[in-house]
Formats: sequence, C-alpha cells, structure tokens
Amino acid sequence: MTEQKSAKRDPNKGYVALLGWSLSAVEAADKFDRRYVVVAPDWAEAYCKEHDIPYVPWNFERLNDRSMEIAQTLKDMGVDVSIPLFEETVEWAGAINSVLLDNPRLFGQSLLLRDKALMKRRAQLGGIRVGIFEEAHDKADVVRFLKRVNQTLLKLDGDPNDPIHLKAFDKAGCLGHRVIRTPDEVDTIPDEEFPVLMESHLDGWEFAVEAWIHNGKIRFLNISEYVTLGYSVFVPATPELEKYRDAITVQIEKLIKTFDIEFGFIHPEYFVTSDGEMYFGEVAYRPPGFKVFELLERAYGFNAYQGLILSFDPKTTEEEITNFFPKEVVDAKGVAGCFGVYPRRRVVSRLEIPAETEDHEYFESHELTPPVEETVTKRTAFGTHWGLIYFFGDDAHTMRDLLKHQEELDFYV
Amino acid sequence: MSHTELNDEANASKLESLSVRLDEAIQWLADAPNYAKPGKVRRVFDAARRLLMVEGGCAVLESRAAQFEASGVFNGSDWMYPQILLPALASLSLKSPVADTVIIEAISELRLLAIAMGDFDHPAMSAEQAHHYLTQVMALNLDLLFGTPSEAEREQQGRLALATRLLLRHLAQRIGYEHVIDQLVDEIWRILQQRPIQVDNIKKMVTQIAATRGNPDIDLGNSGQGADRLISSLYGTTQACREDPGVVVYQERLDSMDSGALQYEASGFARAMHDTGLVSPYHAVLVRHLQNQGSYLLSEALGLSSTGRDCLLCYDDLVHAIIKEGIFAQTAQGIYGLALMLERGILYQPPVAPALWRQISLPLSVYSKERLTLAYGYEPSPRARLLEGVLCMLGQPLGVGQGNNPTCQSARALSMWAYNDPDYLLQMVVWAARDDEIIIHFEGQPISSRDSVSGVAKELPFDLDPVSLIVVPHLDRIYAEMGRRCIGREGDPHRWVNPEFHGWWSGRGFRINVDVATGKLDKLEDFLRHFYASYHPYYNGNQPLIHPQPAGIAVTDSAARFIGWHAITVLRVSLDPQEVMRVYFFNPNNDSGQNWGDEVVVSTAGHGERFGESSLPFEQFASRLYIFHFDPLERGELANVSNEELQRVIDRVHRSWGADRVPAKELQADPGV
Repeated sequence: MTEQKSAKRDPNKGYVALLGWSLSAVEAADKFDRRYVVVAPDWAEAYCKEHDIPYVPWNFERLNDRSMEIAQTLKDMGVDVSIPLFEETVEWAGAINSVLLDNPRLFGQSLLLRDKALMKRRAQLGGIRVGIFEEAHDKADVVRFLKRVNQTLLKLDGDPNDPIHLKAFDKAGCLGHRVIRTPDEVDTIPDEEFPVLMESHLDGWEFAVEAWIHNGKIRFLNISEYVTLGYSVFVPATPELEKYRDAITVQIEKLIKTFDIEFGFIHPEYFVTSDGEMYFGEVAYRPPGFKVFELLERAYGFNAYQGLILSFDPKTTEEEITNFFPKEVVDAKGVAGCFGVYPRRRVVSRLEIPAETEDHEYFESHELTPPVEETVTKRTAFGTHWGLIYFFGDDAHTMRDLLKHQEELDFYV
Repeated sequence: MSHTELNDEANASKLESLSVRLDEAIQWLADAPNYAKPGKVRRVFDAARRLLMVEGGCAVLESRAAQFEASGVFNGSDWMYPQILLPALASLSLKSPVADTVIIEAISELRLLAIAMGDFDHPAMSAEQAHHYLTQVMALNLDLLFGTPSEAEREQQGRLALATRLLLRHLAQRIGYEHVIDQLVDEIWRILQQRPIQVDNIKKMVTQIAATRGNPDIDLGNSGQGADRLISSLYGTTQACREDPGVVVYQERLDSMDSGALQYEASGFARAMHDTGLVSPYHAVLVRHLQNQGSYLLSEALGLSSTGRDCLLCYDDLVHAIIKEGIFAQTAQGIYGLALMLERGILYQPPVAPALWRQISLPLSVYSKERLTLAYGYEPSPRARLLEGVLCMLGQPLGVGQGNNPTCQSARALSMWAYNDPDYLLQMVVWAARDDEIIIHFEGQPISSRDSVSGVAKELPFDLDPVSLIVVPHLDRIYAEMGRRCIGREGDPHRWVNPEFHGWWSGRGFRINVDVATGKLDKLEDFLRHFYASYHPYYNGNQPLIHPQPAGIAVTDSAARFIGWHAITVLRVSLDPQEVMRVYFFNPNNDSGQNWGDEVVVSTAGHGERFGESSLPFEQFASRLYIFHFDPLERGELANVSNEELQRVIDRVHRSWGADRVPAKELQADPGV
C-alpha cells in the first residue's frame, strides 16, 4: 500500500478504516485531515489503485474463523478504529473494533444492533417503549400474530384489520418490508423470506434520527422528516416535528445508555403518537440510506461522513468535535429533501420529468435513468426506487407539500 | 407596471436564482477529486438545463465557460478536447433523445462561443478556430435556428427541443445571422468544389437558405449574395422554371416549346450544372423530354465538349437507354455523372459499353432492392437509383465518400476502380447487387464476402451513395478477412493486402516508416529518400505516376496531434501553377479540406487540383506519409535529396505525429539544441 502523501494528514490524529465501498465516504475521508484506509471487496482494487485510494481487500461474507485476519492486518497497520458504512459491515466493525480498541463488549453490541428482534428486546429491557413484536418462522405464525394483534385492539370479526409489518431481521431500511392486512395476503410471502420480524402497526408520525456520539455524548442530533415512508425525506424537519426535539433527545440518551454506546453514529427510527408518546422502531449503527448525509451537507454545509470519522476516532478531542458540528436547525441554510421515484404505470417507455417538477423553484437535480425494460415489475415489498430527485429551498412546509405532491406525478410514461 | 415588465422581472429573478444554483453546483463539482466527479456532474447538468430553458440563460452559461471547463464537467468525454469536436456531430448531439447529451453539447457550444468572443483563452483552441467551428455548427443546424421543432423532435426531446432553439438563437445573435449565411454559402461552395457524389445534405442546406431568404422576418442585410447561384441551380435555373412551378407545369411548358426555346433551356441548365455540380430536378424533366429531339439538344443539355459529344454520338442508343431507365427528377444528379462519364471517354474501352448495357437491365437481388429502398425510398425503382449511382461514380471517381463509417479502404478501392479500371468496378457492382456475393482472391485463395464474418464497420452503413451502399459491405468484409489471414506475419498487413485488394497495378514493393511492434519511427530517412526516388519527378527520371497508388497517411489534427492511420490514393505528382511540386491525392473522407496542423493545410482548389483531388506540397505530404507502395523492379537507389530538404520533412514528422515515436537511439544521437 502506498504511503498517504497528503501533507494535511495529521499523524497525531486517528487512523480510520472504512468498511465497505462508498464513494461519498471515500471522498470525504480524502479531503479530511486523518489517515484512512478503505476495506472493500477486491473488485474495488483496480479503482483504488488508479485513484491512489489507500485500500485493503476484504470480502465481507459471514463472520468466520478468518475474521481475525482482517482485524490483525488493520492493527498491524496502526489503524485505530473501523467504521461500518453498510448494514452488512456492522458486525465486522464490532468484531474488528473489539480487537483494535481491546474491548470485547463491542462485538456483542454490534450483534445486538444487527438483529431487529434482539434489538427490540434489549430496548424493552431498557425501559424504551416498543410496539408488539414477535418472530415468525412460517406463514402460520404470521396469521396467528395478525389475529392476536387485532383481538388485542378489540376488533370484531368483519371490522377492517389493523395492518402488521413484516421485516427481515438483518436488512437495511425498507428492504424486505411488507405490510399485511388480511390472512389472504400472507400467501403472497415467499417461503424463503422467513424468518421475519412482525410488528404491530403504530398509528403515529414516523421519523428518523441521526445522532453522532462521542464519549457517550450526543454531538449532533438531526431529525429527518419522512413525508411518506419509502418515498421522501427532508432535513431539517418542520417546526411541528422539531418541537419534540427535547423529548427525542431524552429518548436517544436512553438508547445510548441501554445499548452502551460510547462512540460512533446511530440512526434510529421512532413513531410519535398523537399524545406525544415515542415508540422505538429500530436502530442502525451505520449511515442512513436515502442520501440523508448528502441532504445534511446541502442544508448545513458540513460533511456528515467527516462527522462520522470524528465520532468514531478515539483521538478526537472535545474541542475539535464541538467546533465541527453546527448548531441544529438554526444553522441550516435551507431545507434539503429528496424524493424516490417509482414508476406508477405498468408499462413505461421513457423518462419524462414533469415540467412542474423541473420548473419548481426548489428543484435541484435528479438521478433518474431512462427505463431499461418496458414492463414494470410489480412491487411486492417496498422495493427499491428508480432514482432520487433532489430539492432545496427555504421553507420546510413548502418542501413537505412539494415532496408529497410528487407522489401523484408520473416520471415514467 | 405593464405585463411584460412583470414578466421580465419574474424572468430576471428566476435567472438570478438559477445562476446561484449553477455556481454552487459548479463549485461542488470543482471541489471533488477526479474520481468523485462523475457523481456530481448531475447537479451541474440539471442547473444548466434549467438555465437553457430560460430566456437569457444561455448568456449566463456562456459567462461561466471558464468555470465549466475548470470544474471538470467535460472530463472523460470527447468534449474535454474542443479541438477534436466535429461540427457534423454537434447536430446529432443537439437532437439526441438523451437529455444529458444535449446539455453537454450545449454547454460546450457556449464555451466555444466564449472562446470565439475572446472572453476565455483556451489552451487548445484559438478564437478563430472556435468561431469557425460555431459557424459550421450553425450552418448545419439552420433548421434549429429558423424552424420549429418537428414532430419527431418533440416526441424524442420534449421541451428540450425548445432549449436547443434558444441556444442556436443565442449563438446566432452573438456571432451574427448574416455571418452564418455567408459562411454557410462559402462552406457549400468549398465543398461543392470537391464535387462529391453525395449532395443530399448540400441540397438540404441550399433549400434552408432559400427558405431563410424568403422569410420576411429575417433581415439578412447584404449577406447571402453568393447563395443566388446555389438556389437557382436547384430551383428556377432557367426562364421556364424561374418561379419553381413544379415539374408537371414545367413539362407542359416544354411541350409547347420550339427547338430554339429548348436550346435556351438546355444551355441554361448545363451551365448551372457544370458551375455548381448540383442538378435541378427540372433538368431531368428536360433531358427526358429531349430524348425524342435528337442528339444535338441532348448534347447541349449535358453541356458536353467535343470529346463528350463525340462519345455521345458513338453510343447514342446506350445513352438514350440510360436516360430512359435511370434519369428521373429524383435521380437528377445522374445527369452530371453521365455528362462527366462521356467526357472521360471511358466508353471507348471495349468492355465498358456492354457492361453498362448489362447494368441497365440488371436484375437486383431481393436484399439489394431492400437496402436501396430503405435508403432512398420507392420512387424511382431501386435499379434506377443504382444506375444513377453508377453514372455518378464513373463520372466522378474522386467524388466517392466513406460517409460516417470506418471504411476508408473500401471507399478508396471503389474510387480507384472507377478511375483506373471502370470495367472491373461494373463487375463488382453486378456481383454485389445481383448475387449478394463478391469473391476476391488473396494469394491464390478465394475469399467470399459471404463467408467472412465481420468487417471493419460494426453496422451496415446507410449514409452512402447507391454503389457504395451495395458494394462496400462486401468489400469491407473481404478486406477484414484479408487482414485476418495476415495475422501472425511480421510487419504491417497492408504490405500484402493492398495489392491483392486494389488491383495488380498497386506496387508489390512496400515501405513503412513505423516499426509495427513498438510503434516507433523506423529508418525514417531511408523511407523518405526512397519515396522521393519513387515518386518525385526530379528524382525518378521525370517519370509521371502511371497508376493510382494506395498510400497510408498519419492523420493529424489542427494542432498536429496524431489522430489515426488513414487510407488515401496518390494520383499524380507535378508542378502546380505556382511552380511548387505537389502531390495530388484522393482522400475518401467526405470533406478533404483539412488542417493537419503545423501549417500543413490540405488544399482542394486553387493549386491546380482537379475536382475531388486534394493536394499538398511534396515535402508536407511526405511528412504525413507512413506507407507507400512501389514497383520493386523500378530503379531502387535512394534519392540524393538535399540534407536541408530532408531535415525539414523529418522535423515536420517530429513536430507532429512522430513526436512520441522517436526511437531512443535517435534521441541520443540528437546533438541537443
């Protein structure tokens, strides 16, 4: 590996390993003042070589008896800490950091953060409110759970059921997320998706939090407002959601204590019900999807990945991290949001961005590509969107309504 | 406050906010390391696209030209090197259904505009080059300047079709409409002087100019005067069709004319045709009409000299049959081909006339019919189209062009045969058009175009004259197969392929000045001395070149940088009217007037060139030559060229395509200046 030549890299500051390939993360690290190395599968090698990106090859499969090898390699290189960039590298980071930081508890903690069922139990034990949840191993479990939940809600036969949610244990975000309302729908679930986590539906306002933690303290807390889950998100949130900031901060501190998190970055999801009660959904120990980091940079001007590096680096000083982060909400230059496009028609021939979207004052850019096939695969689970559209403007309410409105438009015709 | 003022104000504030977004996006991109730029180009594109849609947006984009370039928005694309951009390709980009292609092209044009206006000093492009480029782009896209979007454009591009119109309008406003028309007219004349066979695009441009001049909303001032001859040669050439009445009316007028009036019409058309190389559809009506009026009027209508008239009289029946079967309003260009063919006297070669009789009634294969119909439509028949193509190729052997295809070898072969061995060409056409198969022998082994898998061109070309359209795919496959059979041999395959492919007259002796294995220059001085000895009349015993010879050129761009290897034909070497020894050659590309950098500018007219010939002073030509053929039995001693002259040529090689090909030892021998 080539010596990192950049003069600005400070040998007295930490040396971090980024687990997984993310161009935005690499770029951020590259522009930052710390030594770094990318740990990624070998397909990244040629690219890293070409662009002088420090790189160690590693294929992140299941943890096995060779896992010690990468930890030792990084330790020998003098790396101080590793940073997971994706859900799949969270337990790797736990395993590696338990060696690098000589703290075996970190591995156990990472496993907790990887399994949605374990996570909920732990949260429950810590006195955090969660909905009703259970693990399902087959379809019969799902039917039983659906019935019991609705009995609990004192529904009579024939009343419309409250839905339940099914999620994969260890996948990020909306991947594998299904909503089930009737026993008939259970049949549509392929057997290979089991086991899954089942949760009761919470009628509330769902939102996400991004929190950077160092020395057990919250250093920056962002509230991301979802307009419609899986479609759109924007930061900072509207004043209606921001008014819960203090209550949310209390919840996050509880979470930090319960999961014994000293440093790093968490991305939990909550519901707030109409009476102001917070329900914990889940928490991830890695950057969020839907480009929230990019939105934060657009809104505040700080690089969220660099914040990530600071919050993981044990050598970060109190002063440094305090100076790095802006003041939440008041320091934002505007509101940044994005919308995930799903084709609405079954047959599409081309990409056509509606004039009203493109001409809107807030419109910034899009990353939609022309359709590859004419027939749109029917969405079974929440699925993946076909690309994002970015907006930026002054007013959170305008942003919210604008994002909501996009759901009614055709981008693929 | 009036309505328009309100509008202006809204527009101004929109421009303002979009400009801020653009600047932010450019900055964001500029700050990114190279590998991260591709992900950040989007925001710049989207900001630029919105500006393109707004009145005044082009001016904003133009003013950011330097920032655009510095931010790396063009990185990794052809647009990174404005000096290699081709105006002809710009119109494809501007009409692309892919929005990003349109946008990057638009940004690039506006950057060139800033360069042309002197607001942005570009290291690789001068203001004059940029100006020239833009005028060509405008000339080629006059439809965007004046027309409204067609159904197809709207369908494919949506609102973006309006953006390209705003762009072209902005370019024209900055550079000046009158300027475009004048440049366009000059450009058309320059291309016409090379007498290409394919004139469809030129006809389109002339039509566009005619429409522009007819539009009372456009004030052209004093410009566009030179367009008169062009327009009249197509529409309204003579007294009887002055107001472009349509062919039916014109036929009626012909029916009532006496021979004096007909002669007046005939000479009018002939003058226009020989003047421009363009043939009016009315001319075809007249020529068909004159079939029943005796050979004298026909000879007048073809504008023949005594040579041509002689030939016409000898082959009267044949010519009439050709007209009957091949000359229609849609194939009027065939008249020009016919006239020039008669002037060349090639009908006196015994096989040519019977071969043409065969051509007239040639049954075409289903496949050939389909190809011709696809390319040119149903009217007139595919056979008539092909006949028109044959006439044009025999009349204008140096007017063959390769279109937008990498098939310079095949185009060169067709031209060479039309020029040197017309009977052989006619045979090739028959094999291809009737049998869908051509067989050429290579070192005793037959190579069939049917068996050979693939040629140089990846797709079947369509932008060609009728003969090339039918024959080139066959030749291309055979040429590629010959190359494949040379795999494993040491040295350059053209040594064996060229003589077998082109004809017995291609010299079997072969010289190349590049070492194939290393790509470095090899025995450059010997190569040049040998070339002088073989081709230069002062060093070869004053022997004019007898047969056209294939040769290879290292083509360089206007900055003298190497672009690629290219096939040409050396036609003759002689003194020009200024007493400069020049090499006259045929270049199968479509426009031979090229600037090869380091003051090597290929001339196509004004230095004794015949129609379709390119020429360069001998030294300059030698400095771009990398392959030539010679007769190994001719005297082979190296020419005693003066050291100064030789050094000048070698210096030119080293300053251009040979810059990074100088072998190490030669560098060491260099005294070092």
